[in-house]
Amino acid sequence: MASRGGDIQGFYRQRKKGITKPANAKAKTSSSKKPSSPNRSAATFGSDVTQPPALISHASLDLQDDYDANEEFLRQFDMNMAYGPCLGMTRMARWERASRRGLNPPKDVECLLRSAKVRPECLWDGRV
Amino acid sequence: MAAMEVDPVNNHLQRKQSHYVSLDENFMIQKETYRGQQYSQIYFARLDLMRTLIYSLLPNWKPYLPVCTVLDLEEGKQCIIVGTLYKDMKLKPSILDEYSKERSATPLVKPHNFTHPDDYLILEDESGRVKLRGTVLSPSVYVTGNVVALHGKATGAGDYLVEDILEAGLPPQLELPYKSEEDKYVVFVSGLNVGSNSSNPLQFQLFVDHISGHLGDKKVQSIAAQIVQVVIAGNSVEVPRGLLNGQNLASKDQSRLSEPIKEVDILLTQIAAGIPLDIMPGPNDPANFSLPQQPLHRCLFPGSATYNTFRSCTNPHSFDLDNVRFLGTSGQNIDDLEKYSEANDKLAFLERTLRWRHLAPPAPNTLGCYPFTDRDPFLMESCPHVYFIGNQDRYETRLIKGSEGQVVRLICIPRFSETGTAVVLFLVIVVELEKSRMPCSQFWDPVQLMTT
Repeated sequence: MASRGGDIQGFYRQRKKGITKPANAKAKTSSSKKPSSPNRSAATFGSDVTQPPALISHASLDLQDDYDANEEFLRQFDMNMAYGPCLGMTRMARWERASRRGLNPPKDVECLLRSAKVRPECLWDGRV
Repeated sequence: MAAMEVDPVNNHLQRKQSHYVSLDENFMIQKETYRGQQYSQIYFARLDLMRTLIYSLLPNWKPYLPVCTVLDLEEGKQCIIVGTLYKDMKLKPSILDEYSKERSATPLVKPHNFTHPDDYLILEDESGRVKLRGTVLSPSVYVTGNVVALHGKATGAGDYLVEDILEAGLPPQLELPYKSEEDKYVVFVSGLNVGSNSSNPLQFQLFVDHISGHLGDKKVQSIAAQIVQVVIAGNSVEVPRGLLNGQNLASKDQSRLSEPIKEVDILLTQIAAGIPLDIMPGPNDPANFSLPQQPLHRCLFPGSATYNTFRSCTNPHSFDLDNVRFLGTSGQNIDDLEKYSEANDKLAFLERTLRWRHLAPPAPNTLGCYPFTDRDPFLMESCPHVYFIGNQDRYETRLIKGSEGQVVRLICIPRFSETGTAVVLFLVIVVELEKSRMPCSQFWDPVQLMTT
């Protein structure tokens, strides 16, 4: 049970319930898509220093940022080179430019941009 | 539009008039806001617009060849690719040279022309870029930013061997109107450089007196009465930049800074009182640096701006005068082409910009330009009848013909402060049986006129 430079709590044996160690992932609350693998705990001796607690939600790696299928669809629109570069324009402006030029951008993108609560800026906005 | 007549009672000469329509809207930056966009947007707009244009020309050129993108090139297969040219230049000054660790022996004084025999061209579209080889395409002729179609095939080395090239060609031109014979003149002048050491106020005053009819006998005055438009193509002032060295300006220096523009205003008032006047900003004028330069502000010309004949225009400037289309710049685009490509004379550069259908292909690569997102205002939609460039070394002119019957008069306007020369364009439209005559231009040196 000795932990490797890990948290101090691993130093003391604690048997309280509710402490989630990667090895003892509680499947009943998890909505994870992949089951927790025992290999992780084998390498880390039960410590979760390699995987900070914040990213563990429901005992699985939280690799999904807070974007959903809509955003994914819009990002594909951003990345499509046929409509030109996406940086520096709002998605709506870029869609309008593409439709003005007769490039026939998908109508769904326009509907999404008008109705749903999606980011008006492109994928790279603020990050480049 | 009164014909030239001498009023017998008062012996007054009437100046001719003509119908003026300004087409500068394309060059005005009104609703554009900067949202952090980069120049990739204007390059995309340019490629998209010109590619559609070139695709429409391909059936007349080589309809039997397939068109493909750069990424889809197959080795050995003849095809056509359309994209933007990029010229890799060895001598092109780069901002990164300042940061390079080893200072090589490059001289600080830059050469006037940055071409080098080792320059090569690359064609680029959204999918990729490919290096161009072959003797058909001469890198010294083209610059970065041209959109062309190339016929050739990909080689095993990953290059593209060019066999033929298609440029956009001259844009369609509106027909010149049929009109009765009425001789009218348009005067072009540029490079007044008031405030510099080379400018002579006597020369310009002589010029102003001449065109406003204050000089000469009846015959000369009647010729002056036929001038319907004056266009000042840039560099009207030379601001004493020695004063702008980062220190606070003393009040004496402040008045010295504004003296040249006041002097210009006084002179322009004399012109504007009698003739419609268009003034364009140039590289040295108090206007923005990047093309398209916005009109000089009216508050700079308190005297002349009160006249409705005074028009402050953008650079590049386009207007219709009696349905004759004029297009011109203050010279930055041609000067930039001269630095990055080679030609026999200045007029060859003008002709090339017309054949490429683009006023300033080096913008924004080497020529400062506003980062437009949805359009490229330098694309020529229609062919001008008169194409003028200001601030050149000497007066030159030529008539060029396009493949669809377009005829354009090219004019290089010399710097007035150095040469004392203005250019007078003789706009005559004569009804002939087949077609109307094209505008021709004359060389008119006002200083010479006074000495003879």
